[in-house]
Amino acid sequence: MKKILALLLAAMMVVGIFAGCSGSDKPAETKAAAAPAETEAPAVTEAPAAPAESGAVELPRNETLYFAGQQWGTVNSWSPIGTNQNNSMAIAGNSGGYRTLMFETLYMYNFMDGSLVPLLADGDYAWSDDMTQLTLTIKDAAKWSDGTPVTAADVVRTFDIGVQVGNNTGTGFGAYISSIEADGQKVTINAALNDEGAPVNPLKVLDFLTGTPIAQAAWIDTVVDRCGGDTVAILNDAGDDVVWSGPYTKYYSDDQKVVLIRDDNYWGQDASMWGSLPVPKYIAHTIYADNAAGETALKAGEVDVCQQFIGNIQNLWEKDGLPISTYYEEAPYGVCLTMPTAWYNMNIPVLAENPALRKAIAMAVDYDSIIANAMTNQSPSFSDVPRSLMNPTDGEQALYDHAAVADLQWAGNDIEGAKAMLDAAGIVDSDGDGWRDWNGEKISLNAVCPNGWSDWQAAMEIVAAAGEKIGVEITTLYPEWSIYQTVFTSPSQTEYAIFMWSPDAASPSNPWQRVNQMMGKVYVGAENNWSGNWGQYVNDEADALINQIPLTTDSAELKDLYTKLTEIYLTEVPSFSLMYRPSLFHAVNESVWTNFPSGDDGRNIPPADCTDGYGIAALYELELVG
Amino acid sequence: MKGYRKYFGKKIIWFLITFVIAVILNFFLPRLMPADPVAAITGKMASGMTDASAVQEIYKRYEEEFGTNKPMWQQFLLFCKNAIRGDFGTSFSQYPRKVSDIIGSAIGWTIALQLPAIIVGWLLGNILGALAAYLRKGWDKVLMPVSLFMSNVPAFGMAVILLVVFGVNLKWFPIAGGYNFDMIPNLSWNFIKSVISHYQLPFWSIVLVSIGGQAVGMRSMSIYELNADYVKYARFLGIKDSKIVGYVFRNAMLPQITGLALSIGTMIGGALVAEIIFSYPGLGSTMYSAVTAADYPLISATTLIITVMVLLVTFLLDIVYGFIDPRVKAAQFD
Repeated sequence: MKKILALLLAAMMVVGIFAGCSGSDKPAETKAAAAPAETEAPAVTEAPAAPAESGAVELPRNETLYFAGQQWGTVNSWSPIGTNQNNSMAIAGNSGGYRTLMFETLYMYNFMDGSLVPLLADGDYAWSDDMTQLTLTIKDAAKWSDGTPVTAADVVRTFDIGVQVGNNTGTGFGAYISSIEADGQKVTINAALNDEGAPVNPLKVLDFLTGTPIAQAAWIDTVVDRCGGDTVAILNDAGDDVVWSGPYTKYYSDDQKVVLIRDDNYWGQDASMWGSLPVPKYIAHTIYADNAAGETALKAGEVDVCQQFIGNIQNLWEKDGLPISTYYEEAPYGVCLTMPTAWYNMNIPVLAENPALRKAIAMAVDYDSIIANAMTNQSPSFSDVPRSLMNPTDGEQALYDHAAVADLQWAGNDIEGAKAMLDAAGIVDSDGDGWRDWNGEKISLNAVCPNGWSDWQAAMEIVAAAGEKIGVEITTLYPEWSIYQTVFTSPSQTEYAIFMWSPDAASPSNPWQRVNQMMGKVYVGAENNWSGNWGQYVNDEADALINQIPLTTDSAELKDLYTKLTEIYLTEVPSFSLMYRPSLFHAVNESVWTNFPSGDDGRNIPPADCTDGYGIAALYELELVG
Repeated sequence: MKGYRKYFGKKIIWFLITFVIAVILNFFLPRLMPADPVAAITGKMASGMTDASAVQEIYKRYEEEFGTNKPMWQQFLLFCKNAIRGDFGTSFSQYPRKVSDIIGSAIGWTIALQLPAIIVGWLLGNILGALAAYLRKGWDKVLMPVSLFMSNVPAFGMAVILLVVFGVNLKWFPIAGGYNFDMIPNLSWNFIKSVISHYQLPFWSIVLVSIGGQAVGMRSMSIYELNADYVKYARFLGIKDSKIVGYVFRNAMLPQITGLALSIGTMIGGALVAEIIFSYPGLGSTMYSAVTAADYPLISATTLIITVMVLLVTFLLDIVYGFIDPRVKAAQFD
């Protein structure tokens, strides 16, 4: 027995040693755990005394603006003429405008009023009378990071290389711009012409002005040389030696973060542009695993600007008392620019042949419940902003005659109206099983969106519930994203009956582009269709109206066209929007930085995360708290 | 010795056959998914593009580049040819990054997190389990239910609890990433401290869960062995207790060693939960995102690593078993 006791003692000692090991780990942990606080505190106090030199290994908190919700995964490239750079902070075109931290566009788009604010361009652009030519001048002050001036030749080279290698610029605008010419600082953009000699689409030419990062001609030549002219090599070039014109440049990137540093020689501090440098010295984005991680970091004050959907965001300040705010203090908190939409698949006969069925389902859906649950009221309701083809901004709402279509609009949850419509159309329950039939067969549809897109899934559940209420069987289906995107972009698919996707949000070519996506014939039958009309709806009348819009400049005529299109859309119901939604979420934590743009500050800076389009103006006006 | 050689010769042949079948499955299974990753890359590039025919062009270009327009068997031969040279091709989801580059930058973090966590969890669990078997009474009464509870807490549950309690509420440890959000990797003491503090929560979330399971297993094995006839007989013969306990421990350890080897072999997938919840860098989350994105080259490469690791550890296990278990040795010689 003694021996056993001795052995036990020995065993306990071993455990003790292990406990000791983990114990000796522990002090290190707690020390280290205190480290974040420690490092943060000295950083704040030290920084003013010794401004971090280039090569700093800790980013002073009061010189760094932290982001979340933009960069997922590791940066691939810094080349503005490539593709798949996965470099959200430096190279990203959004509906809210191009991100001009490192590379700059000719104009900055402001989705609050649809205006184009000159950036590399000097003053306004001018159209020729027949809209076949657009001219503009490059600012004299505009310089590349190597000190050479930005010239019209750079714009030409940027467009030409795009067409040559087929990057986003080339494939996106090649069909609308035939060529660009340079004459000193003067840029002439020649619109592509159709058979009648009219420009194909002047609106898309405007998109070029706000959506194309201009690259330096000399640097493009360097890339082409080192790639031996090989298209794929040019597209995949890492661009480590890139020349930029924007206020920030790359500082550090790995699979956990990307950091940009301010270029203190930035040309934009010239009086002809901003008159100063942007306030934060560093722009940093930690690469979070998912939205939840980004949200936790925002709450902890490790993120200043968060581009993520956060459910019940008002709780962060109302209940948790955190210094977090959004663009508007009250719901919907942000500016909604797009409408996540449920598309009817016209390859399915019962849907293609029965507009009454399409409209009845759409009328029965309880949108208020979708907006309250899926969007936690971060969307105006369809009673506030009646449904049309327009997003809720004042500019777009003014583009159609509200009174003319008032009879056609519906706010939802109209079960009796929907039932009556189906009865009148002869879509009734003929065999008494509780479900309506068509051609002697039970109507059975599915409502589909990608798995894990929880707000969309909630919306699809509500659509299915609406079906049940009116006697139409709708089941939900949530395939993985990789499968979903393969199916819904296929023009001949019959797997998904009602499925979700968002049309375009805002750009100079909207709402035309969105209307085209809703009903444009141009997309029907296109393979790998990421462009529009995912339900394959064909309406020649609508198509003719859509094609008139880009060439129409008279505002009354334009309003008439949009009103007619809205009438067709609300009568035919090829798809129905489920909610309004911002194209960028914009929540800020003001524990370090303040003076972010807000809806009532009169500055007209859009809530575009201080980075996109004219939203970047916010960076020049940020202030430190205290 | 001749028997030994014959035994291992046979084993090696079986492992090679397993390996070949595994490689074939690694290649073909992901490609049977009804998803088209080329469409995904095209979509990333084409979003917002109005011109449908331009999108088609992009699709064709990528199809050409990835060779997905070739017949499957040709793709397989190409895969084998390149894999031998360590080239697993280009990732779909992180195009144009090379698969080897993605794995290279992630695998260090996974091994540094998983290997110590698995070993520490295994050691602590076994010692606690053995103690429970010897001590019984009070120790066992506390340890047994606690172990059972811990071993049944799902890994993500444990990770979330640690995150909320020690990260969000107590703020003892950072909540995300492999190092401080305001740092750039360097060799300073501050950075190392930061890495260590970020290491804690993911590390303990793995250790705590594995301790419970190991302890429960070791306890039952030890109790079983303690009651075995040879122990009674040895006591009867008057053999020293310490010697007997040595026998008991050796016998009880055997299945535990198999468990250790297997968890080392599959550690890449095992790190997934900790990596996702703590936004910790590593191969688990890489593999997860590869699967959701139908990124065949990346899936094939990561599963190949797991296959090779499992095969290697089971092979090593066979050798080690010969030394620690005479019964196995005897069987091997037969």
